[in-house]
Amino acid sequence: MSSPRLRVEDLRVTYPGNRPVTALAGVDLTLDAGSCLCVLGESGSGKSTLAHGLIGLLGDAEVAGRIRLEGEDLADQGDWQRVRWRQISIVLSSGTALNPVLRIGDQIAEPLKVHGGASSGAANARVDALLDQVGLGPWAAGRFPRELSTGQRRLAMIAVALVCDAPVVLLDEPTSGLDPQTRRELLRLLGALRDEGRSLLMLTHDLAAARALADEVLVLYRGWVAERGPAAAVLDDPRHPYSFGLLNANPSLGSVKELRGIRGDPPDPSQVAVGCPFVERCTQAIPACVKQRPPEIPPDGEDGPRHVACVRAGLVPVLELRAITKSYLLRQGPLGHQHVAAVAGVDLTVRESEVVGLVGRNGAGKSTLAQICARLLEPDAGEVRLEGTDVLALTGRDLRRARARVQMLFPDPLEALSARFTVGRLVREPLDVQEVGDPEWRDEEVTRLLGQVRLPASAVLDRRTHELSTGQLQRVALARALALAPKLLVADEPVEHLDPSERAKVLQLLKTIQVERGMAMLLVSHDLGVVLRVADRVVVVDGGRVVEEGPSAQILRHPAHPVTRQLLEASGAEIADRFSGLLDPV
Amino acid sequence: MSRPYRSPHLRTVGLYALTLWAVITLVFVLPRLLPGDPLASLSDPSSGNFLYDPTARAKIAAYYGLNKPLVNQYFAYLAGLAHAQLGWSISQNTPVTTIIARRLPWTLLLMVTALALSSVISFLTGVTAAWHRGDRIDRALIVALSAARTIPDYAVASLLLVALAVVVPVFPLAGAKTAFASYSSPFAAIGDVGRHMVLPVVALTAGLAGNKFLTVRNTVISTLGEDYMLLARAKGLPRRLLKYRHSGRNALLPFVTAVGIQTGFAVGGALFVETVFSYPGMGTLMNAAVTARDYPLLQGSFLVLATVVLVVNLVVELAYGRLDPRVRV
Amino acid sequence: MTLPAVTGDAAVRARAVPFWRRRPGMGLVGGVVVGAFAVLAALGGTLAPYRPSAITGATLQAPGTGHLLGTNGIGQDVATQLILGTRVSLVVAVLAGVGTVALGGIVGIGAGWSRGWVDAVLMRFTDVVLVLPKLPLLLLVGALTGGSVVALAGLIAATFWPMTARILRSQVLTLRSRTHIRAATGFGAGSWYQLRHHILPDLGLLLIADLIPAAGRAVALQAGLAFLGVGNPAQPSWGAMMRDALNYPYLFETSAWLWWLVPPVLCIMALVIGVTLLGTAAETRVSPRLARHQR
Repeated sequence: MSSPRLRVEDLRVTYPGNRPVTALAGVDLTLDAGSCLCVLGESGSGKSTLAHGLIGLLGDAEVAGRIRLEGEDLADQGDWQRVRWRQISIVLSSGTALNPVLRIGDQIAEPLKVHGGASSGAANARVDALLDQVGLGPWAAGRFPRELSTGQRRLAMIAVALVCDAPVVLLDEPTSGLDPQTRRELLRLLGALRDEGRSLLMLTHDLAAARALADEVLVLYRGWVAERGPAAAVLDDPRHPYSFGLLNANPSLGSVKELRGIRGDPPDPSQVAVGCPFVERCTQAIPACVKQRPPEIPPDGEDGPRHVACVRAGLVPVLELRAITKSYLLRQGPLGHQHVAAVAGVDLTVRESEVVGLVGRNGAGKSTLAQICARLLEPDAGEVRLEGTDVLALTGRDLRRARARVQMLFPDPLEALSARFTVGRLVREPLDVQEVGDPEWRDEEVTRLLGQVRLPASAVLDRRTHELSTGQLQRVALARALALAPKLLVADEPVEHLDPSERAKVLQLLKTIQVERGMAMLLVSHDLGVVLRVADRVVVVDGGRVVEEGPSAQILRHPAHPVTRQLLEASGAEIADRFSGLLDPV
Repeated sequence: MSRPYRSPHLRTVGLYALTLWAVITLVFVLPRLLPGDPLASLSDPSSGNFLYDPTARAKIAAYYGLNKPLVNQYFAYLAGLAHAQLGWSISQNTPVTTIIARRLPWTLLLMVTALALSSVISFLTGVTAAWHRGDRIDRALIVALSAARTIPDYAVASLLLVALAVVVPVFPLAGAKTAFASYSSPFAAIGDVGRHMVLPVVALTAGLAGNKFLTVRNTVISTLGEDYMLLARAKGLPRRLLKYRHSGRNALLPFVTAVGIQTGFAVGGALFVETVFSYPGMGTLMNAAVTARDYPLLQGSFLVLATVVLVVNLVVELAYGRLDPRVRV
Repeated sequence: MTLPAVTGDAAVRARAVPFWRRRPGMGLVGGVVVGAFAVLAALGGTLAPYRPSAITGATLQAPGTGHLLGTNGIGQDVATQLILGTRVSLVVAVLAGVGTVALGGIVGIGAGWSRGWVDAVLMRFTDVVLVLPKLPLLLLVGALTGGSVVALAGLIAATFWPMTARILRSQVLTLRSRTHIRAATGFGAGSWYQLRHHILPDLGLLLIADLIPAAGRAVALQAGLAFLGVGNPAQPSWGAMMRDALNYPYLFETSAWLWWLVPPVLCIMALVIGVTLLGTAAETRVSPRLARHQR
């Protein structure tokens, strides 16, 4: 393999000023011929700086690092002036990216005349051909930008970028503000360009576009690469805590899931972090995170091309089940015991701050698995590791401490909550049991917890279970489960017994609290509709085995196993109808 | 497409026609509106306007036709204008139209030259200053052109006169050409006229350039942050194209608007500058008319100058669409 | 040098106020100059060595003892005329400035506040006046009305109000669309209440910032009109001094221009520049406030 077309090494950019802002803090990337690299990031992540930096337009910013284009170092403005448009061009997407007072044709032909010394006739012919190629037609040459629609302007912009046949094209948010039809055409056009052998570098936050075009994806956070790797791997199964949050916050993901944010706000851009820049918002930070920049390493359990810049090697597993089997005694007879296998060799991983949906038909073994996760049942064989420790081996004090890390929510709160206790007592019980804090603190904590589940403490503290609705009771149960600040919440059919309005409320509450606390959740349900709304990843079980597993979006778009399809159908045409537009973005 | 009579151009022309009518009527109404007998001050020896010559007083009274009904006066006035009759000059005893026809070209020569010159200067300096904003060259240009804008034309003219016609007598003191000169060739004639023009034009240009300079500078600065400028630089275009084609083109509309508005200022400036240099244009004419209280001449001059300004503004407004595609609907 | 780029901090710098507006010193200089002329105008009678019209010496006497700035073509003291000329300039400046802002304010605020057809008519009228060549109009009307100070100030105000009117109208329109004014409408505040309690106080500073340049323009215009012969000939003024000097047939054959023509020219320039500096300083004071409002 020859050297890549574009190679960027340790690119650092700082804007001077009273409080200098570091926009890029050491970015490496490579771009090969005929491939598309997609840089994902929020606004302020350094995307624009990267785009401008790659064509030498950073003005008075301090730039360090190395940019090599076709094996040639680009250092000063002379170098840049030599390669601009002939070897690298850019597509800008704002409304003013085309000069409002010049005709489209002139703006396309301009670089050709300046760099290629083309005659007017040759330039005009080239302009017409290009306008045809991008799907506009020669009529557009005589128009002013005002006279074209946003989509047409974007296509014209691409014609501008192609005019000198630059092998590398930078695309800054190429799909922003386009209607679905135009967007589809544009992506098709870009795909064709890539297949011709051009190298595309796309900076975007449009995940669907990335999914459609990108070969590789690079996730940028505050001028620093959080995760990089093959597009499918990163987009479907992000492993860095930041990219996980970013990808799950994105509405164009094509899932029916409720949006989740990343907790906290982006920090002050003028502060340069010593350690991992994401540490303030990360739910799995450890002291080592603030000490030094995390190196880019393959995430836990992988050795492939994907890398994450995380001290903990990406999201850490909270709970791991390995080869779990569990059978129940069906009949005890003279010829021996007759067993029925509820769970037959299941592997299951729940990672940090992730919501895993566990779905299956009745009797598929879901509840058994859920209870094994909470160690309410002992498996016959297999391994259960909670934050790295083997829970099955724990006893006594250690086990009690481990139990606090996993809490469970049961289907019917009326059964799960003792009718004798007042609500206050119920919520306080786990604190008493685990002897957390002093009694006064526990009382305050109860009020706080009830507040978190949106129950007015003063009104419900002294009530008993029969005085509250099922929805309210499930929220009391949730408060109780949260009391010990668990790392994992196992919710077994948490909305099964609720009426529809309460169902929505409790689901929303679960999701909100899960994001705020950075807590992982295993959501067990037979209703795929409920699960898809909340879960990041879905595991389908049937007959005690895992039959399908994948990101929610993928399960929704391409259900593989018949059981999954059946469950999808059963959970209502409603999902299919409401989200049909999102199912296939390209 | 809208029907022709609804076109924005016709609308503009209509509005200017209305304005012209307002000006014509203003000239008719003004002397009649003023409190008391408008001509009373002419016969009042204690007034600054006192006119010594009784026959002149009688002629003025006849010109205004004050003894006839107002409507008749108005229509007689309009009919006169329709035949390009602007009245009879008292002091020169000649038709006003004839006098103005002799003087107007000189004023137009000064104005057009100064407007053109100041436009070129202000555009170039404005773009340059914007391009170097904050640098020393920008500051120097701002100070120089702000001063040129602030100091009245006649003060600049007087200082130029003293400096370059008296202390260092490079240019002639007064007039539009050398008196009683006979020229060996047409070029000599043009050279002589040109030499006489230099100082008045410089004085006039200074004031006009100042205003437009700031307009151009600020518009160009506002374009510098736009994405099309970023793109133009990304295209690797040479600086000249960036400066004038991409950035300067966008400053053209406000610039041309400024040029249109400036015609009025240019007229005023020309009147002052001509007076300083005794240049034989409308300025010296109006100055003499004021001294002689020659009202018909004053009114005629005002009407003609107002018409010139209105026509230029109309042309500028009609030209907008050609210059800037953003104005087209 | 590299090509300029507007990124990050540079973009902020490009939008910042030009440097001369940032210097408080320039406003101070303007204030001192204007103040000095104001003192001259106030004490004119006692400071001036002679009566302005009195013929006090030989014609075209060079500066020296007795005649600090020499004498003019008919033997009047130039210094006396210069000192007393300050008065007309300042009085016209103040009156015309106030008049311009008052007229412009009434039309502009009225148009912006009433909107609809009143606005259309007022602004059309404003455009008509705006496009008229002002100096010829002033010459014509000035000659018709005579040149008393008040009439002159009134005329200047009557020709120069349209610019102020336009600025104020657009300001009123912007203010009206602000949330706090909409909020006032929301809780039922009437038109008048809003005008009195929100719009006018917000415009107050802008009116003052507009008054100073209007006054500066009036100084230049009054002198210019006197220079062209409009004005009370009995009243000494800088413009009239220039006129007399330039009309003197043999001015440049002597060196009398040095003390007869140049001093009034310099005085006019000094006062106009002084007022302009003061005006820019005032504008700087006002604009941050406006900028804050506009957020």
